[in-house]
Order: sequence, then C-alpha cells, then structure tokens
Amino acid sequence: MLRTRVIPCLLLRNESLVKTVRFGRFGYIGDPANTCRIFNELEVDELSFLDISASREGREPNYRILAEIANECFMPVSYGGGISTVLIAERVHRLGFEKMVVNTAALARPAFITELSAAFGSQSVIVSIDVKASVMGRPHCRAVSGTRDSRRSPVDWAKEVRDRGAGEILLTSIDREGTWKGFDIELIRSVADAVDIPVIAQGGAGSVEDIGKAVNEGHASAVGLGSMVVYQKKGMGVLVNFPQPHMLEAVIG
Amino acid sequence: MITIVDYGMGNLGSIQNMLKRVGVPCVITSDIDAIEAAEKVILPGVGAFDTAMNRINAAGMRDVLDHKALVEKVPVLGICLGMQLLTRCSDEGNSLGLNWVPAVTHRFAEGTDLKVPHMGWNQARPAQASALTADFDDDTRFYFVHSYFVTVDEPDRSILKTTYGIEFDSGVQHENIFGVQFHPEKSHRYGMKLLKRFAEI
Amino acid sequence: MTERTGMQLNQDLQEAGVRVCSRCIYDERVPAIAFDHHGVCTYCRQIESLQAEYGTGSVNGERQLAEIVEQIRVAGKGKKYDCVIGVSGGTDSSYMVYLAKQWGLRPLAVHYDNTWNTAIATQNIRKVLSALDVDLYTHVIDNKEADDIFRAFFLAGVAEIEAATDLALAETMYRAAARYDVKYVFEGHSFATEGITPVGRNYFDGKYIKSIHGMFGRRPMRTYPLMTFSRFMWWSSVARIRKIRPFWYLDYSKEDARAFLEKEYGWSYYGGHHLENRMTAFYHGIYMPQKFGSDLRNNTLSALARTGKMSREAAWAEYNTPPAVEPELLEYFKKRLELTDAEYERIMSTPPRSWHEFPTYKKRFERMRPIFAALAKANLVPMSFYLKYCFPVKST
Repeated sequence: MLRTRVIPCLLLRNESLVKTVRFGRFGYIGDPANTCRIFNELEVDELSFLDISASREGREPNYRILAEIANECFMPVSYGGGISTVLIAERVHRLGFEKMVVNTAALARPAFITELSAAFGSQSVIVSIDVKASVMGRPHCRAVSGTRDSRRSPVDWAKEVRDRGAGEILLTSIDREGTWKGFDIELIRSVADAVDIPVIAQGGAGSVEDIGKAVNEGHASAVGLGSMVVYQKKGMGVLVNFPQPHMLEAVIG
Repeated sequence: MITIVDYGMGNLGSIQNMLKRVGVPCVITSDIDAIEAAEKVILPGVGAFDTAMNRINAAGMRDVLDHKALVEKVPVLGICLGMQLLTRCSDEGNSLGLNWVPAVTHRFAEGTDLKVPHMGWNQARPAQASALTADFDDDTRFYFVHSYFVTVDEPDRSILKTTYGIEFDSGVQHENIFGVQFHPEKSHRYGMKLLKRFAEI
Repeated sequence: MTERTGMQLNQDLQEAGVRVCSRCIYDERVPAIAFDHHGVCTYCRQIESLQAEYGTGSVNGERQLAEIVEQIRVAGKGKKYDCVIGVSGGTDSSYMVYLAKQWGLRPLAVHYDNTWNTAIATQNIRKVLSALDVDLYTHVIDNKEADDIFRAFFLAGVAEIEAATDLALAETMYRAAARYDVKYVFEGHSFATEGITPVGRNYFDGKYIKSIHGMFGRRPMRTYPLMTFSRFMWWSSVARIRKIRPFWYLDYSKEDARAFLEKEYGWSYYGGHHLENRMTAFYHGIYMPQKFGSDLRNNTLSALARTGKMSREAAWAEYNTPPAVEPELLEYFKKRLELTDAEYERIMSTPPRSWHEFPTYKKRFERMRPIFAALAKANLVPMSFYLKYCFPVKST
C-alpha cells in the first residue's frame, strides 16, 4: 500500500468533464459517469470531483449527476463546487461522497468550516486553497474558480483553515495547472510545514518524478493529478489512465 | 437473488453496481415480501446506530429479517454500520442491536495519536478460514470509515483483523451471518472479490 | 435479453424458406441482391473482383502494399509522423498499429470519442499504444452535444444513428493528418472479414447529419467535427490525403490477430456484442433488429462463410438466433437521451423513415462520378465510397 495518496482530480463543467489550463481555457474529456467506470477499472484508491462553474454561476451542485457519479465509483470520492451551506453539504454527503471540498464559501465566511466539521467530522472537510501570483508576484488565494482575489496569503489562510477545523487542505497552483511543468514545490512546502493537517498538492504534475518531489521535497501528504490522468501525454489526445503502481512505489513507496 | 435491504441508509447504489459488475444479479428493496423471498441478504449502513435500528423497526422489517437470518438461515452480509447492527449493542446510542452475532460494538478511544474516525485504506488479515476470505493475500486492503468497532465474545467468530492503534475485528462470522467493517463497494478490486465470494456461498 | 423479431427464420438452412446465396448467407431480402446461375450473389462477386484488383492475400497484394508503404516512408521524411491510423480499441485497428510499426512506419493513432466508450475500449487503446510507443490524437465531443445528435437521429426515425460517429472519425483522421502534414491514413476495413455493406438501405454524409440535427436537435452543433462537402473535397483533392486499407491487400485473420493482441499486449476481446461502445451495441443489438428488421451480423457471418472459416449452416443458425444484449443497455440509452419509457416505445413503433426523405449530398456525388472515379483510382477516396455513393440507388 502506498504511503502517499495519489488522487485523480476531475473537473465538471455543467454536465461534462473538462480539463483546464491555468483555470482558463478548457477541453472536453468525456461523460462523467462513463469516465468513473474507467477509473474503477484502473483501481485508483480515491477520486475527486470539482464543479468549476457552480461558484461562478452562484448555484448549487448538480445533484442528479452527483448521484450517478457516487453510484458508479468503487472507491471513496470527494466533491467540491457550490457547497455554501451545511444543508447542501448534507445532501452531497448523503448521495455517497465521503468528503466535501469548499473554497469560496469558506473564504467568505470562515466559520462555515467549523460548522461543516461539527456536522460531518473534520476528516470529511477539505478546504481547497487555489493560489495565483498577484501582479506584485506574491502568492494570493483566489475564490470563485480563480476569478476573485481574496488578497490573503496561502500560509496565513492555511493556518486559519486548520484552526477552524478543516481535516485536509487541497492546495492548487493556478499558475501551474495544466502545464505539465511540475509542482510549485516552494508553495507546497511553505503550507505543508505551517500546518499539521494533510496537504494535497495539485497543479502542474507532468511525471511520476514530479509526484516524488511534491512528497519528498514539498512535504505534501497526498498528490492530486489532473492532466496526467486524462491525457495520453503532454500535448496528445484524451486517454484516461493512471500511473503504474510500481512506478509510484519507486518514488513514494 | 441477493437482496439489499433498503431502510434508508447506506451506499445502496454502489453495492448494486459492484454486484452487477461481477455479474451477480441483485435487487434493492424495502418491501417485506421481497425480503421474504431473498436467497441472500445484504444489510448496508452508514450513519448512526440508533437511527438505523429505529428505521428498521419502524419499517416493520424486524420480523422478516430475524426470520431470514435465524430461522431460514440464509447467508447475510452486514456492511459497516450494517455489521455493527448485527451485534448485541453499541457504545453509540441506546438501542439494542439485532443480536445475530455474539459481539458488542465499542467506540475508538479519543486522545490517542490516531484520529477518529478511522478513515482510509487499511489491511484486513484473515484470523481464521472462512468462505468469505478464502482468496485474501498480504495485499488485501479495504476502505474503512468508522468511529466504532466490533469485538466478538468468542475468538472463533472473528474472521478478519485490522490494526488501527488497537487490533479489532474487521470481519465476523456466526454460522450464516457475516459482517465486514469496511466498505467492499468502495474497495474496488478487493471489494469485488469479497462480494463475489459472498454470492457464491 | 434476447428477443426474437419477425425477421428470424428457421435456423436450419434447409428449412429457410427464402433463397440464400450458395456461397455466403445473404438471402433474397438483402437490398439490390441478385443470384447468378451458380446461385452466387452479386456481393460475393463484387468481393471476388475487389480481391483480384487488390491481390488480397497474394504475392501481388503484398507487393502493391509494400510499394505503398515505401511511398509513405519517403513522403514522411522529416515529419513527426508518416501515417495516421484510426483506432477504436478493436481488433482491426489495434492490429494495424502493430503492422505499421513492423513495417518501420511512424504512425499517429487517432480516435474520435463519442463519449459512449466502455472502459474496455479505452484500456485496449492504452495498452496497445503504450506497448508500441505510439502517440494518440483524439477529438472528444461535448457529451451533451453527442447525446443531442444521437437523440435527433432517434427522433427522426432513421436507421443511421451511428452515422455521426463514423463520419466524425473520418473527419478527425483528416484533421489529425493535416495538423502534422501527413498524407496517408490507414483504415482497418477488410472486405474479406466484414463483407461490403449492401448499398441503399443505410446512407450518410455531412449534409444528412446537419439536416437531421437541424430538424430534431436542441443544442447548437459546436464541438461535433462535421465533414461538409467542401471539407471532404479539400481533404481528398487539395490536401490530397490518401486512404489506404492494408487488409484489402493482405491475408488477414481476425481470430489470429485477436490471439496475438491478447498475448502480446493483454488486449481484451469484447465479444461479438460490440461492447466497445454502448451506442454501437444499442445499434446492432436493439435498434436495427427491432425497428428495422435488419440484422447486420449477416455481414460478418457471410464473410466467415464465404472464406470457409465457418460453415454456411452454422452461420445461418447463428444469424437466426436473436442477438444477446447487455441488460442495462436500454436503460442507459434512455437515460442519456432523456427519453421516458413511453417516448421510447412510441418512437420504436413508429414506422421507420428513410434517408431519401432528407436533404443529402447524394445527387451531388452522383453528378460528380467521373471525378470520384479518378480520386478512387488514386486512393484519394476509398473505392468502396465510389461504388456506394456515386451510383443512383432505388428507394427501398
């Protein structure tokens, strides 16, 4: 069993699976439920779904699609996107999602994190921190699928998030996302060293070696993969895949 | 036909899909007559002990379930909370369990290094031979998410053990009644094998 | 899950009650069929002459293909890839990738994903391409748009619900070839193993797809790669991208290819029920037999009978056994196309409509026959395209 979790992170846009680059332009990947079936075959240990248009459109999750996804997945699944109240989180949880992911709602009202923790237990609450360099070059946390600058620093916010009761942090580098250029190790380490809850590093993975770096140098407890699991290779076609266990074992045992 | 009992709690859809995937027909039902006709029963469960027992009783299912399990003795599989319901009682709540397996349910102790609930993949090691676990090997692991664990009265009822701080019974068997603490329906390959074994009993 | 339709006859060939070709198992119900004085049907004869022309399985055929492969190698110098191969995860295309590598070519695999693929198709593509170190180019349509187009065809009541996928693959292969300045596209069609689909009943082109979608669709066509007439002419006459079908020249056994792929790459055969794509499975297993009384298995079964791989008796018996269908297939179909049970039943029992009733490019193809004859001779359009599209067909 791997000591580090490697989690495919899939993006939902309306009722399609897509993949973005730097939270910007996107390409179609396929039908959500159908794609779950392929991940079942690949025997990944955990899956994550994020609805990237829910916050932007100010709407709730698409429960119908979520029900399909939850029923299709033979492994634990987390969901984020448009979770703004405990009631919504309740509904998502009851559909069969083990963990809830929040960002925008948490930045708007940090006490929300505590409410969710109280309702579901901290282990089911993941706060997603999306980071983009400001014009001055400093890392800032962003809300609403990367469109709104909260002006907060990732390390500061991470500490508060932990204090408020989050179980995990999903840390995404917007600048690296979809680029295959490797993780932002500096960013990951700064946050992972600042908190004692697991940090899932995401954004930029291009190879198994990158995964190793995020863990060994960045001190990430887990790694999220996007482009790597939906494209055959950088610049090539859509082909759902997952790194071979022996290759992962070599870098993260 | 394997009948998955629907009393309103549990990953029913996922269990059904996994059974379908391994070619085993099954039905989800809350209907007493349908349960009556069951060849095998799966009792799923996610959530609180009392809520579950209350729902089962309120739905009028108790009698038919007792009959299937204790009189007809069809194979029964309790999953997660479903396994805890098989025991006499639980630290969680005030209700009595189904009491089909001589065992009790305790809460994990707080304040140790390990967080509660136990959530994540972990190994389940065979404690003794059982039809359900015949093909387990050193790699076999499952997905767990629970705050309470089961302890059997007699060691020979324990078929699987898992370590999370302490060692606890992650699988039990009493005659035709089986229980697993983990979620086979969330444990891909390993879960499929286990459910297939159950279907073949 | 198997349903006898009115079209299944007595499984005993002797008791068939219809005239059956003496070589394959096409019977008198096949459109535009005729039997010569040996009792051999026109389709068998057509295949005979194609085999002569392409030298199928003979030294002549191998030589013809070797020449083409050499042309491809030369034309590809200095380019990233020298040929494009359409892949589906199936036997033919997977084996073709292997052959191309054997011949020292540098193929680019191309796939059009209509979002109804099963896991087995994706896995097969992945295993073969990774073992052979071949890059993959794909076009994935927006899944909701895909469903809208399928739904439009279903509501229209016409047979060609697979047409959008087939044409999209052809267009995608051209686009991939153009992107990398590749002049040769390999296709896995084999008239020996698949036969020639009889003309007349089914038809498709870009105008047809656009017409049906325009009349019955609800979403704009944005991500669907439509092959319009001008695109088709561009690809074939201006970009001059040639279509090559290796199995027209070579001796090819699907069974041997399967065994090889399984052993070498851990590839999986999904059986004759088209489990690689759920729309294809629906089309072959439910739609065509139940609504159109048309069972396309006679193509492959006739091919097997014709080449002696299966006895005519066995082929006839299998043909007259209803096709097996995956149990949840129908539910999946209705769910994705957003059809209630009542709507589905109603449409399935409405009399079928024909492509003749909708705008298509057919007349234009017929008027341009001499041009397409020349293009076919130069492998710029497949000979089978010329034979099927450029001649008038009686309305059936």
